Amino acid sequence: MEKNITLAHGAGGKQTSMLIDEVFKTHFSNPLLTADDAAILQIDSGKIAFSTDGFIVSPFEFPGGNIGKLSICGTVNDLACMGAKPLYLTCAFVIEEGFPLTILEKIASSMEKTAKETGVKIVAGDTKVAGKGQIDNIFITTSGVGQLAEGISLSGSKACVGDAVIVTGDIGRHGCSILLSREDFGIETSIKSDCAPLWGAVEKMLEVTKTLHVIRDATRGGVGTVLYEIANQSNVGICLDSKEIPVSGEVAGVCGMLGLEPLYLACEGRLVVFAPMDEAEQIVKTLRQLPYSKEAAVIGEVTSEMPGRVVMKTEIGAKTLLPEPGGELLPRIC
Amino acid sequence: MKTACIENKKMSAKEIIESYKGKPLRIMEVCGTHTHEIFRLGIRNILPDTIKLISGPGCPVCVTPVGFIDESLMLALEHRAVICTFGDLLRVPGSKMSLADSRQKGASIKMVYSPVDALSYAKEHPDKEIVFLSVGFETTTPASCLAVKKAKADGIKNFSLLVANKTMPEAYKILKNSADAFLYPGHVDAIAGTSVCESLVKEGVSGVVTGFTANELLTALAVAIKLSEKGKPFFKNCYPRVVKSEGNIPAQELVNETMESCDSEWRGLGKIKKSGLKLRADYKDFDARTRFNLPKIPGKSNPACRCGDILQGKCKPTECGLFGKICNPQHPVGACMVSNEGACSAYYQYGGNL
Repeated sequence: MEKNITLAHGAGGKQTSMLIDEVFKTHFSNPLLTADDAAILQIDSGKIAFSTDGFIVSPFEFPGGNIGKLSICGTVNDLACMGAKPLYLTCAFVIEEGFPLTILEKIASSMEKTAKETGVKIVAGDTKVAGKGQIDNIFITTSGVGQLAEGISLSGSKACVGDAVIVTGDIGRHGCSILLSREDFGIETSIKSDCAPLWGAVEKMLEVTKTLHVIRDATRGGVGTVLYEIANQSNVGICLDSKEIPVSGEVAGVCGMLGLEPLYLACEGRLVVFAPMDEAEQIVKTLRQLPYSKEAAVIGEVTSEMPGRVVMKTEIGAKTLLPEPGGELLPRIC
Repeated sequence: MKTACIENKKMSAKEIIESYKGKPLRIMEVCGTHTHEIFRLGIRNILPDTIKLISGPGCPVCVTPVGFIDESLMLALEHRAVICTFGDLLRVPGSKMSLADSRQKGASIKMVYSPVDALSYAKEHPDKEIVFLSVGFETTTPASCLAVKKAKADGIKNFSLLVANKTMPEAYKILKNSADAFLYPGHVDAIAGTSVCESLVKEGVSGVVTGFTANELLTALAVAIKLSEKGKPFFKNCYPRVVKSEGNIPAQELVNETMESCDSEWRGLGKIKKSGLKLRADYKDFDARTRFNLPKIPGKSNPACRCGDILQGKCKPTECGLFGKICNPQHPVGACMVSNEGACSAYYQYGGNL
């Protein structure tokens, strides 16, 4: 087999079959993934959640993960945020001509590992090859269905006054690791992306309480953007306590140097959870026993003041508005 | 025990500020980073009515005149130079467009994080002319000087600076009547030293050198309040862990070797004598104005924009007719709305438009 992807790999002939057999089938193999045009799935009675997400991250490999792991986590986490156990995924690849097969193999292997960890099966897929220069290395789109747990109804419009706002771990790692891999700032850190599948965390939370109101994954735009979305969707105010927000020392240091706000850096393995305050302690205790949420914390509460806005109690005990997200992240001059 | 002491000190500084009942005080924070931190920490929200904080002209983007953007555009569009710039300058409006807009017209504009990065880019692209937009105060100027010195030593022929670097001391004198005391920018004084600010006391200019943490900002404000009560001009270094009276001598020598003082145009404040820097004659080959024989470009700003009054504390951003209406961080009209550290942008982001 050739060392790099060629246009022939996407032409539907012999090379396409070889690519599927040698890379994708090797890693994604399960009885539901067949050579037929569509997968036939058994769905139990009840409701399903269905979601899709496209991934075009640059660079496609970064400390703590790669585009493959990200593409599984992204859709798995979207389903988990609705309280749905992720069951089946499809994945569509668009690969640039000349892309090294060894790296594709590595990406597929990450996808296999992450899917297995979550208990989700990849049941259908598609591969296209784009001419050199038409795309940036590799794009992946995943879609997924999940079985909604009985009696669960989560939505961004369900935050209530008095709810605790919980994050499931320290924030901003993914955004920071991507920024540092993309630009040569000459800063050396050990920051790794937080990219992780979070159904396990949601499943455990649902075991200890049925009164979760909102779960959302803080991806693009970070925790700050999610909080503004929820404040608007639920028409409530949110008051954060800055000293409770978990940020690793390294992320805080990089943000300080570049003039960035960690609340607006993307995460790929952090949830923002809204639940009644009297349940918060139990939820946080449960989360802290799990591998991807050891630093879960209550960072604020929902209030009736200033609906649609996020207010921050700062380290000097003053209250100020958290600036609304917008624009690109431009490191400042000095 | 140690923590408790620090906590006590911080509280007492905060209490001094909150409980001030003396005559009205106007305190100008000169540095853009101070402006941003003061808003972020909510310090304005604990001030009594008797204390007014004014965001002065210490954000390098905010004081860069329209004509400078027009010069950059001319280099990019007519001379086809690759413009390397700090990100903040991208969206500053020129007379007709911003550098970001000019990309659609084929301009090559590259965002860099340091002038040395621009020099490396020049070395990698010997077939292109690379111009770095050199703006900033005492803090950022040495990096430009280092880049130009290296360029000369390495015999680089395709790299130049469009210089609009500024120095603070003359601006303090111009702004003397706009404030009762200045919060001097700690990072500027870390380079320049404190002797100039100390000697300003003789001219009736008061101020305290201020650091950047919550504790340092509150302490400096409290000290400024206490010293103001004595009724005499004063100077105090409240950031001694970083700022020494002599400053950073190697950095000063580097600047002196490559640049010299000149009159400079400040957006909103007009021309201030000896408040700017230009490359020395030895480095004229690296001066983009000489190299491309640029004409003088006056630059036209929107006449309704009140950035100039805002920088002098003559009006608040919210009192400008454009604020929050046609001027916002997504569509800035004046430079103060562009940078995160600009007064208008800070007011807007922290709810001044509510």
